[in-house]
This record gives sequence, structure tokens and C-alpha cells, in this order.
Amino acid sequence: MAEHWSHPLDTLPFDTVPPAGHYGVADMTGVAARRIEGLSIATLAPARGAEAAITETMRQALAMELPGASRAVFAGARTLIGTAPGRWLALSSLDRDIAGTLRAALGPLAAITDQSDAFIALDLAGPKVADTLAKGALIDLDPRVFLPGMAATTVLAHIGITLWRREEATWRLLVARSFEAALLRFLVSSAAEYGFELDARG
Amino acid sequence: MRIPCPYCGERDAHEFSYLGDATPARPDPAAPDAQDRFFDYVYLRDNPAGAHQEWWYHAYGCRQWVQVERNTLTHAVAGARLARDARDAAGDAAGNVPGDAS
Amino acid sequence: MSRLAKGGLIDRARSLAFTFDGRSYGGHAGDTLASALLANDVRLVGRSFKYHRPRGIVSAGAEEPNALVELRAGARREPNTRATVAELFDGLDAQSQNRWPSLDLDLLSVNQLLSPFLGAGFYYKTFMWPAAFWEKVYEPIIRRAAGLGRMAEAADPDHYEKASTFCDVLVIGAGPAGLMAALAAGRAGARVILADEDFLTGGRLNAETREIDGKPAAEWAARVTAELASLPNVRLMTRTTVFGVYDSGTYGALERVADHLPVPPPFQPRQRLWRIHARRAVLAAGATERPVVFGGNDRPGVMLAGAVRTYVNRFAVAPGRRVAVFATNDDAWRGALDIKAAGIEVAAIIDVRRAVAASLVQQAKAEGIRTLLDGRVTATHGKLLTAIDIVADGRPERIAVDTLAVSGGWSPNVHLTCHHGGKPAWNGAIAAFVPGTVPPLLAVAGAASGAFTLGSALTDGAAQGAEAAEALGFPVPLPDVPAVAEESVAIAPFWHVADSRGPAFVDLQNDVTAKDISIAHKEGFRSVEHLKRYTTLGMATDQGRTSNVTGLAIMASLTGASIPETGTTIFRPPYTPVSLGALGGHHRGKDFRAVRLTPTHEWAKARGAVFIETGAWLRAQYFPRPGETDWLESVNREVKAVRASVGLIDVSTFGKIDLQGPDVGTLLDRVYINTFSTLAIGKARYGVMLREDGLVMDDGTTARLAPEHYVMTTTTANAAKVYQHLEFCLQVLWPDLDVAIASVSEQWAQIALAGPRARDVLARVVDAGVDVSHEGLPFMGAMEGSVLGGVKARLFRLSFSGELGFEIAVPARHGAELAQALMNAGETFGITPYGIEALGVMRIEKGHVSGNELSGQTTARDLGFGRMASTKKDYIGRVMAGRPGLVDPQRPAFVGFKPVDPSQRLRAGAHFLKIGAAASLENDEGYMTSVAHSPHLGHWIGLGLLQRGPERIGERVRAYDPVRGGDIEVEICAPGFIDPEGERLRG
Ligand SMILES: [Zn+2]
Repeated sequence: MAEHWSHPLDTLPFDTVPPAGHYGVADMTGVAARRIEGLSIATLAPARGAEAAITETMRQALAMELPGASRAVFAGARTLIGTAPGRWLALSSLDRDIAGTLRAALGPLAAITDQSDAFIALDLAGPKVADTLAKGALIDLDPRVFLPGMAATTVLAHIGITLWRREEATWRLLVARSFEAALLRFLVSSAAEYGFELDARG
Repeated sequence: MRIPCPYCGERDAHEFSYLGDATPARPDPAAPDAQDRFFDYVYLRDNPAGAHQEWWYHAYGCRQWVQVERNTLTHAVAGARLARDARDAAGDAAGNVPGDAS
Repeated sequence: MSRLAKGGLIDRARSLAFTFDGRSYGGHAGDTLASALLANDVRLVGRSFKYHRPRGIVSAGAEEPNALVELRAGARREPNTRATVAELFDGLDAQSQNRWPSLDLDLLSVNQLLSPFLGAGFYYKTFMWPAAFWEKVYEPIIRRAAGLGRMAEAADPDHYEKASTFCDVLVIGAGPAGLMAALAAGRAGARVILADEDFLTGGRLNAETREIDGKPAAEWAARVTAELASLPNVRLMTRTTVFGVYDSGTYGALERVADHLPVPPPFQPRQRLWRIHARRAVLAAGATERPVVFGGNDRPGVMLAGAVRTYVNRFAVAPGRRVAVFATNDDAWRGALDIKAAGIEVAAIIDVRRAVAASLVQQAKAEGIRTLLDGRVTATHGKLLTAIDIVADGRPERIAVDTLAVSGGWSPNVHLTCHHGGKPAWNGAIAAFVPGTVPPLLAVAGAASGAFTLGSALTDGAAQGAEAAEALGFPVPLPDVPAVAEESVAIAPFWHVADSRGPAFVDLQNDVTAKDISIAHKEGFRSVEHLKRYTTLGMATDQGRTSNVTGLAIMASLTGASIPETGTTIFRPPYTPVSLGALGGHHRGKDFRAVRLTPTHEWAKARGAVFIETGAWLRAQYFPRPGETDWLESVNREVKAVRASVGLIDVSTFGKIDLQGPDVGTLLDRVYINTFSTLAIGKARYGVMLREDGLVMDDGTTARLAPEHYVMTTTTANAAKVYQHLEFCLQVLWPDLDVAIASVSEQWAQIALAGPRARDVLARVVDAGVDVSHEGLPFMGAMEGSVLGGVKARLFRLSFSGELGFEIAVPARHGAELAQALMNAGETFGITPYGIEALGVMRIEKGHVSGNELSGQTTARDLGFGRMASTKKDYIGRVMAGRPGLVDPQRPAFVGFKPVDPSQRLRAGAHFLKIGAAASLENDEGYMTSVAHSPHLGHWIGLGLLQRGPERIGERVRAYDPVRGGDIEVEICAPGFIDPEGERLRG
């Protein structure tokens, strides 16, 4: 019996980040992924005994609430994600240097580390995001369970990610830069049956 | 196997790396019999059939060391707590702080 | 054709064409390959494993021992597939296996003549000596003569994937009990998964002619299935086999997404491996019928009674024209009535019992069926069955039949209950093993628990489903259990017709006979586990579904013990075979594991780099130039270029850890053997860290950027391990230390620039005001600055190559840009990109230790770092490093080697012997850890560990490499072949 379709991974070089385009089933976009450029990212860890002071300063200087658990908190262009006890990821799409902003606000209260280049950020949208992620993740991402504002640092196809649900149908994911190609290959392969759009513009 | 990380929630054991028995405490390096004590600390382990306190590192999650009580016969996990909380609960400040060993 | 004119759950409007052994046949949608073959009167479907005896279809399900076929052709050829569960599709190409040259004429059936030699334990008896014969002689012969099907010879063109899902209640099996369980839990609002290996839900309801609520049971099943499908909280997974129960409520399941199609639909996997996480589970897997063992019981035409009934009722196929039923239980009588009702002649029911319920006997007689009680089958005749010999009430008789439907009773499908070490328990009332201890949070319902009547299955299923949901907090309305008539399930335990003639097979798939069991018994085997291994009973791909209990019973009768005294039968995952493709999922070929790319990967690729995997990383190994024919030629050129002028390499793969806080110095002093708290700001220091057992864990340089800010580098291989170690120190050992660590391995691209012209090149890329002169950035200096017009950077003056060297770190997105800027800046100096081969050559020339020396078996002292270790502080590994065995002066220690005859090649792994000493373990003095061809010196050089090595500089030893036939003399030298005084890197 003749082949009437070929799998997108069969023709993509394994050590190249898959190019923008539509993969898999045509005329359908079950998952759309968009690489987010220009995010500035930093990790934030309070100095010993400074948690209360930081919570207060963040509230007053940046109008942000530090999430007490693995949650995402949104305030304008800024997002705070709890990644560990006393450890947060701060992201901003406006500040060019969120690490600098935090350092200026918090001074010696916290250890701040710029991580803007450590991660590739992907926005995922569409009706099949949860089904696609379920092919690589080992946590319950059922939209009835993993609600907007929830976050998880976990694995996707053996690759470490930090994932949070922004709104009903949009999710954001951070992956270490060196794994970008491997992670996108997984997404291309896993979302192909639903139609996968990578980096659609406009 | 699933492990209830106190911070992240229930996660698959694949996200963790295993160290082993969580009960031995680092001996005092300045003790006169330090070498014997360290030998015990590094090598000697009970191998209980049943409840076992052990260290698991949540490498793909919060990167916390978690003390897990696991039944070695059934793999049933009775509980888990973060290393820091476990130490606090044990009333033991920490592993031994190195003294002047000269 | 044996297709019945009416009935069945096949779609007669949809005809499907298929081939078997090259001949074309037709079937219908809803058929399995087995039902379609029977419909076409194909009764010979395979040859047996060992004796190549002709075999036919025995069952109608996953337990099939005989009808193993190859499906599809070419790269998609799949051997050992059970025809009884292979869903028919248009264009299916199936082949019989285990025959040569053809199924009908199988020359290898001469094995039957050898059967006296192939009996129990033949593997052990025949092939004991010599061991070397195994690989070359015995195995190929056995494989050809007694193999299974043929694997495809090309890579599988299809894709597979894995997925995980979560639910409150997992229901395994969609028969009457499973449907009721799913309905009860689903209506209560629980997240339910209902999985069944069949493509049609209903289980036994499709195989029998029962009524539920006054309607045909199959209709009821379809209606309940439709309701379940309409519930948003219920997921129906047909063609999905739950094959294993794992810890913490995790279940493995295989979904055959496209096995029922010629090729998978666009972008669909062939199969999907599910990891189902369920808070509760209900096992409603039904039961499997057992045969009775008698002489000639493997003749094509001898089938399980329930299978005959299934083919008649579900598939509208008459497996034969004249059927006899050989029974030990009431259920087989109902089967006989179904067969008769379909218009097939039933010659007789032969029951081993002296008395059978009068109602059944009356019904049979009313249908004109002879009933022969106290009977047994003693022989069979024909290549395909033509007649059976029986004895009933003491009278022998020959009956002409083409089909014998046999029932020895039913065994609950307890398989999954055993996956946590549970042992089934014997239930004498139903003559079967029932679930004993079961996995936590799993309940068993219906026939799987031994509740064989339809009414009890429905009631039990509803109760278990409701209980599971209720336990999870879902309010459960009492489910209505539909009304059904109660049937009788009486049985007499009967296993083996001892006075029958001809080979009596217990395990049809592995060709194990009742005689094999008695031989094993005579030879002293008593334990069932030993018996299994000796005879291979139950060890074929069907895991003894139809043979284990019978084998056990025969063993029990030989020893005079009861069945539960003799043993039990347990099962391990997987329930049915799982393909390796499904277990691999996405992770095959180059996606076997996620590969990490460096920031300069595309840049290096564009320059023609050859890459090599180092751990998960893909790194440039060397950069061949046109005309270079050998990798060594390229590497030599790269090394010479660096030593003569300047070169660059991406070292981003090193682990990089930022440490901040008032106690960083204290922490570093405790993890490194040397002192870091006193390190000046703006300086870097080489450090060695030990494991607590005193052996070296890792090395690297750590720099102090600010009073409370250090940055550590680790080796590429140990990046994650060192990070984890530091977290252990901070969270477990010394939580009082105020230090925050962050991995910045991915944040910073890092490029090493080395060679006498390195500073000239660097000076051209740093921004104004960044002083990289010898004064501004002295040897082991570290600074923060900027490059490329405003890109922040960390600059270190370090050297691994032994040349003047710098490492420049920039935010990773600028890595390739930095590499290109350095190339442009160095163009006038002939700057050369180099790979990790050249890096390795240069570090060996310089005498630096690396992965081969940091083997996890070496101490700091072994590697020449003894004097680096501080005596003024404690650090991890200090106490244990002082153990006598680790300070023994006889321990092999780190030195360099060069061949006495410079034309000779050195080999890593060669062992050192004194000149003239015999090559024995006692004379072993150490081994060569690393070698390289030094383009600088023009000969091979090596590093290694040799007893008292540093005291023996200038001596010669023998480097003995029996694996590759090397045996040469080498001279011991200091481990630093280049610039031993370090003038180059300080210049
Ligand atoms: Zn965690």
C-alpha cells in the first residue's frame, strides 16, 4: 500500500530548530505555538530572613504579590512564577532588564540572577494544547484541573520546562535554550495530528 | 511510582533522583574517631523491609531535597517533607559544622 | 463458505478483501482475521513451535496459542500476531509462520519424529556442552527449526507515541461488569476511563444469546456505551489493552490506534502507549476458558467451546458443519444450544460428569442432541479433524465430527491482580483461581472475581463502580441493575484424559505435553516454578493463559497433593505483548534522547564542523577543511594553529553556577579541597571537589565577581550532579548557610580564546574602557565588562590548552555573534575554530586531568593535587580521603608517558608492567588513561596512573594492551609536555 503522507520529523534535520510553518493536518490548527521574543527573565531568591520584607517591597514598589506556591501571578507586563520554596521566576515583556529592576527595588534583600537568555519562551494556544502536552508530561494537565494561574516546573518528553496557564486557552512554557530544537521536534510530532502552527505572525 | 512533593504536588518518580537513607547525619569531623564515624556515615546502611526514610531530589521540579517515607516492600509513600522542614522537626540544627581540623 | 445467513455483529454491507499465504479471501467489517479465515473454511493456520504440527484456531481472544501469524508485508511486517484479535481490514496481507516451504507441506515437521529427544528439559540435556557451540551451532538450528515469525528487516516506517492521562476511576474491561461500573462512576460525575482491548464493547454479551431487560444483551451494551460516550467526564478507550499495574495507581495501556487499518491515517501514530494514573480502578477483565487435555487435542478443529459459540453468535461463522461438545460444566451446554440454534449440527455433548442438571439435559434432547454423560474423548482423527473416539458410561464409540468444542471451565482473568506480587487463591466451588491479594485501590468485579453469572456480573460491576466513586467523594445514586434470568454454572474439576491416545498437549504454543510434565515429575521436579522452567510450560507469548492451571492440576495429580498445595499461577506485566516501538514512542532514532545544542551550533555547522555527542550535548569535534582526508589531519592543523597563533572553541557546555550570599566563601571552602573564602575579588581559582568517600567528584575554576557573588564552573558531564550536590549541602547538611545558587549554564554562552595572539583578538571585541592587558586582566583574573558594543560579558583569563587563554561569556543569544566577531577580529592572525578533539590533544600536551582521570576512582592525591588540599579546614571527603587505602604510597598516581620508539602509537587502557614482568594481575602497576598524537612533539603522548609514578620519572615500563595487541615500552615523564613552567599562559 502506497504511502500517502509523511511524518514531518522524517524530513527535518534533528539538530535544527524547526522553521516556522504549518505542520501536520492541513486546514486545522489544534495547537499554535509562538516564540516570544524580548522577554526579560530573572530568578529571585530572598536572603535569609528577608522573605517578609521582600513580600512587602514587591507589593509596594512593583505592585506584585509573591505567589506562595507553584502559581503564576500577573500584573501588567510582569509575571511572577513560584518555582520552589522561596524561589521565583520574574518575567517582563516591558522592562528590558527585569533583573536590574528587581535589584534596584530589593537591594540586598535578595539574590537576583538574570536568566533572560537561559530560556526560550513559547506561547501555546488552541483546543489541543492539553492533549499535546499530555504526550510528554507526567502531570495532570486536564483543563478542568490545571486552571488558569496554575504553574508547574516539570518535564516534557524528558526535557525540563516551566509551564503555566495564562488564560482559558493560552499557556506559556519556558525551556532551556539548548533544548529548543528537541522540544519543538516533540511538539511538531505530537501536535501534527491536530494541525500545528509554529510562529504564525499577525 | 508517584512522590508527593511538598511544594510541587504529586509527581512521577522520574522527576526525582534518589540518594538513599535519610537518617544518618554527617558526623563531627573533629571527633577523635571521625574516620570510623564517617565510614559508617558513608557506607553502612540498614536495609529495612518496610518503612524507610530516604532522600529524593526533585531535579526536574523545585530542586528541593525531599525526605520521603517509603515502604520498601510495597512502594507505598507514607509522607514527604522538605529537607529543611525535616531537619527542623528532628530538632537537629544541621549536619555537623566542620571544626578546625588542623 | 461457512458464513451463516443471518445474525452476528458484522457489517454485511461492508466487504473486505484480504490474503492469507497469498490466496485472496473476503470478509466483513467487524470480523477478526480468525473469524474471516473460518468463514472461508481455512482451518489450518500455523505449525507448532517445536514439532511443526498442523494447528488451527483454538480461541476467539487474546489467549490464542496457535493462530500466530505475520501481518502486513515489507517494513510493516509484524510477526506472532494473534489472528483472533487482529481486526480485519481491506487489503490485509497475512502469512502463516513456522512452516517451510508451505503450511500444507512442512518439511520441518520431521521434528515430530525427533520428539523423544525434544521432550521436557531438552534444552538442558542436549545442549550442555561445549558452551561455545551455543552461539554458532545450537541456536541457529533451534531458531530455524523452532522459531517464531520473521521480523521486518527494514526500520518500521510508522510512528508511535506515549501519553499520560489522569482519572478518578479506571475501569478495565467493557463487558457487563465493566459497563455497569463505568456507568455508576460516570453518572456520579467522576472522571472515568473505560478501556477494553476489543474494538467492540460488550465482552461476553456479544458472544452469547442472552437478554437484558428483555432485549438482546448486545443491544443493551450498545445503548450503555452510547450513554457513556455522551458523558463529558467519561473517556471510552476501545482497542486499548491495560497491560500492567504499577506503583501509586499507575497503569500501562496500549492503544492500537491504527492496527486495524492498512496504514495509519495522516499524522496518527500506529500505537499509543498510555500511562494512566487512576485514583481507583475496577478490574472487570472477564474470564478465559480452559481446555481439557487429551490425546490429539491439538488437531485443527479442536476448539474452545466458548470460542465456537463466539464465532457463531458474534461473527455469524460456523467453524464446522458437525460439532461435538466435550464439557465439564453447564456453560458449555448453553454453548451447544447456541450452536444448534444457528443451524449447525451438534452430534453430541460428552460431559465428564455422571449427573447434569435435568433442565439442560432436557433442552439438549429437545434439540435432538445426544447427551453422553460420564464421558471423555480418548483420541482424534484426521489431519483436519474428521472423527473423535470417546468413551461414555464405559462404552467406546467413534463419532464423525469436524469440530470438537471443548470446555474445561473458566479461569478468571486475574492477571493484573498479580502485578503487585499478589497471589491468586484457589476457589474449589468454581474450580478456578480467583484474585487473592490485589493491588491497592483496585477492586475486581464480575467474572474476573469469579462471579460467573451474568446477573452477578451486572450487580457486582455496579457496586464496585459506585463504591470507587463514593470513596473519592462523588455522591453516587444507587444504580439500577437491569433484570436478567439466572443461569447455572455447575462444574466438575476435570483436567486430563489419562487413558487417551496420542500426544496430549497442555501448552499448545510451546508444545508441552502431559507426558513432559510426568517426565519432569519423575526427574524430581516438584516446585511449579521449576516445572515451568524445565518444561517451558506457560512460558510462551500467551503466558500460559490456557495451560497454566491444567499443568498445575496434572502436576498435583502426580504428586497426590491438592492444587493449592501444589502452587499457584501468577502473572507479570505485560498482559499481552507490547511492541518496542510503542515503548519508545517519540524517542527513537535521533530523538532517542533530547539533544542539547550549543549557542554556536548553527554557526559551527555553517563552517562545516563535524559534531559528536558528549552526554546530551552535540559539540563540534573538529572543523575539516577541503582537501583534508583524515580527522587527525584536521585536528593537528587546529592544534598547531592555536599554538602558533590563536583559535577559539565554544565551551558553553561547562556547568556554570552563580552563588550569592554572605556565606558563599564558607560553602566553597567546605565543598572544595582548597580555600575560596580568601579568593580576591576579580580572581579565579582552580578547585577540586571530593565526594564524601574521599574520591574526586569534579574540578573546575570558580571566580569571585563581588564580595558575596561567585561563579563556579563544572565539567560538562557533572554540571547537574554538582548543582544537586550544592543543593544537598545547603538544604541538608548546612541549612544555616545563607547562600542562593542558580544554574546559569544556559544563560551564558562561553567561548575560549587561546594562543599567543589571543589578547590581540580579544582587545578588538571588548568595548572601550575594558582593559584586557596583562595588568588589567592578569593570569587567573576575572571581570565583568562588555563586548560587541554594549553586550554585557564576563571575562576570565584561564587556560586549558596551556596557551595564553581567555574565556568570554556573553548572554547566550549573542554566542554565535561573539564567535563571528572573534573570527573577524582574528582574521589577520589566521584565527582557527577548533573542536573538542584539538582541545583534548592540547590538554594532554599540557598534562591537565579530564574525564578519563576523574573516573570516580581517583583521589586528589592520585592526581597530583595532594598539596592543594588545605589542612586548615574541613571539607567534604577530607576525613575519608585519609583512609589508609587512599593514602597508600603504592597507589597508582598521575604521570605522563611517551613511547621509547617515537614511531609507536599509545593506547588508552593499556596496563603498565615492569619490563620483563609477566602479564598478570599481581604485576599490574596501573593503566594509561588518555593518549593523543602531539603535533607539537611529533609523536604520541599519554597520561596515566602508575604506582609511585612521580618517583619514577625517566624509568621505562611496558604498556601492555592485549585487547588490541599492543605491547610497547614507554618512558615515564612529568605530565606536562608543553611549556612546563607555564610561561605561555602567564605571558
Ligand atoms: Zn518539587
